[in-house]
Amino acid sequence: MSSELITLFMFTSMLLLMATGQRVFGVIGFVGAAFGLWLWGQGSAELPFNATIQVMNWFPLITVPFFVFMGYMLSESGIAANLYRMFHVWFGGLRGGLAIGTIGLMVLIACMNGLSVAGMAIGATVALPQLLAHGYDKRMVTGVIQGGSSLGILLPPSVVLVLYAMIARQPVLQLWLAGIMPGLLMAALFTIYIWWRCRRNPEMGPALPPEELAAITRSEKLRLLSAGLLPLGIFGAIMSLFMTGVTSLVESSVIGALLATLAALFTGRLNSKVLEETTRNTLGVSCMFLWIILGALCFSSVYDGLGAVRAIEALLLNTWDLSPWTILIMMMASFVVLGIFLDDTAMLVIVAPLYIPLVRSLGFDPIWFGVLYTITCQIAYITPPFGYNLFLMRAMAPPEISLSDIYSSIWPFFFLMIATMVLIMVFPQIALWLPQLYTGR
Amino acid sequence: MSEAIRLYVRWVDTFNRWVGRFAMRLIFVMAALMLYAIGSRLFFGAPVNWSMEMSQFLLVSYFLLGGPYSMQMGSHVRMDLFYSQLSARRRAATDVFTILFVMFYLGVLLWGGISSTEYAWSYNQKNYTSWAPPMWPVKAVMTFGIFLMLLQAISALFKDVAIARGKPIE
Repeated sequence: MSSELITLFMFTSMLLLMATGQRVFGVIGFVGAAFGLWLWGQGSAELPFNATIQVMNWFPLITVPFFVFMGYMLSESGIAANLYRMFHVWFGGLRGGLAIGTIGLMVLIACMNGLSVAGMAIGATVALPQLLAHGYDKRMVTGVIQGGSSLGILLPPSVVLVLYAMIARQPVLQLWLAGIMPGLLMAALFTIYIWWRCRRNPEMGPALPPEELAAITRSEKLRLLSAGLLPLGIFGAIMSLFMTGVTSLVESSVIGALLATLAALFTGRLNSKVLEETTRNTLGVSCMFLWIILGALCFSSVYDGLGAVRAIEALLLNTWDLSPWTILIMMMASFVVLGIFLDDTAMLVIVAPLYIPLVRSLGFDPIWFGVLYTITCQIAYITPPFGYNLFLMRAMAPPEISLSDIYSSIWPFFFLMIATMVLIMVFPQIALWLPQLYTGR
Repeated sequence: MSEAIRLYVRWVDTFNRWVGRFAMRLIFVMAALMLYAIGSRLFFGAPVNWSMEMSQFLLVSYFLLGGPYSMQMGSHVRMDLFYSQLSARRRAATDVFTILFVMFYLGVLLWGGISSTEYAWSYNQKNYTSWAPPMWPVKAVMTFGIFLMLLQAISALFKDVAIARGKPIE
């Protein structure tokens, strides 16, 4: 059997097994281990275990538990509830203002969170009940929370970009900086969309009633504003320490987790229950993430051994003679399609070693590609059937929100994400301006 | 379900829960270590050359020892397009078969772990760094974590068989 056929066989068996609903890490790891043994016999028995050594040597992965911890500390301690309240009183007077404020909340949370889980938790438990109580359209707000929390992986600190940086051998800082403008652009598009929908259709997002507005005093407004400074301050501290080289990436993540804990302590919100929930949830999410990487590394080392990377490169570039942009668009489309079946972490570990050399030989910037990839991950997060945010939303949403509400809520946000992606493809400067500004100094 | 299986499930779940709750606190050890390294470098001008490696060792211990507990908590995602449509009993029946794949994977991992630890022990393998710690202790911890994960998978298999037969354990 040729190596292309074996690779195809591997991917098909993985997708088929995945459909049975068994745990993702186990399915991917099994296919890798079984094909390794079948192809090379006993000699490859250590292949799955070697992946654990590889995980150990990828030291930036140490940031995973800490960035997850930061996000959970923020949500479990109730600091996030204060943040929500800030947007509530400042934007509540506008039509659709609470939904717009929720996007702002999600941007702030994204600055303190490496994945999207904490954003989802805060959105579903803090923002959603308030939005529903104030008569907002349930489909719109469900989408707002799912789309908004996915910004967690595009805005720094992003664990997905750390993983990409390791695979593509690019500096993490450059990727994080490259994610900022696209993240803000996407948030702006979400905001414009909400504003436009509520303008055309005021009952989708009514302004706060005058009596509730009157009850908000100016001193409360100003006091709450300081709540918003907290995450920005922590974000600023991590980024400046990291950018000036005072602390390394991993150390900065520890500082971030420490500052979040101290913030909870000094606002009198840290108790044993908060600490227990934060620590336990951090273990759960980190284990899920790292075990998937473990399985996916085993899988990708098998097809790497087959020489599939070179075979595919030769096929696309020499045999089919496609133009660079056609190949790029094919790659993006394949991400979106694979994202339907595969979780994004596994997808990155499995597909990126295949694509990144290709991206380089086509003459594209790997940093720019990293941003595009992250947006496809965001799309994968919210699109059925296999989306993290969908998964979490189903678990956390209040009972009045049905499954069909959740599924139909995401379409506008899906198209807005595609629009952001197209904008960044046409104007790479949106992503590359900040990193170039930083290195140009 | 025989009494032996019931006992196995209870013991494995309790033990793994205990190990997992220990592992979950390793994050504080990692944080303390890193803060010590930052402080020592910035304030005393004395870089600590072993802190990074030690944190790497702690991270692999964290997620390998914590793995079984995270499995108990149901933290591992599944592609649940079809799976979520099934009844609880059907789901358990599917898992009874598909967990065998996971067990195969964990078995190969364990095999590799044992042979790698054996090698590190008999040749006194050291890491290629300035600290150069021996590799067998961390490899032994990793292998032990994988072993516990396999025990947990077997426990999950027993529980699923019981649910599929309509007589859940506990």
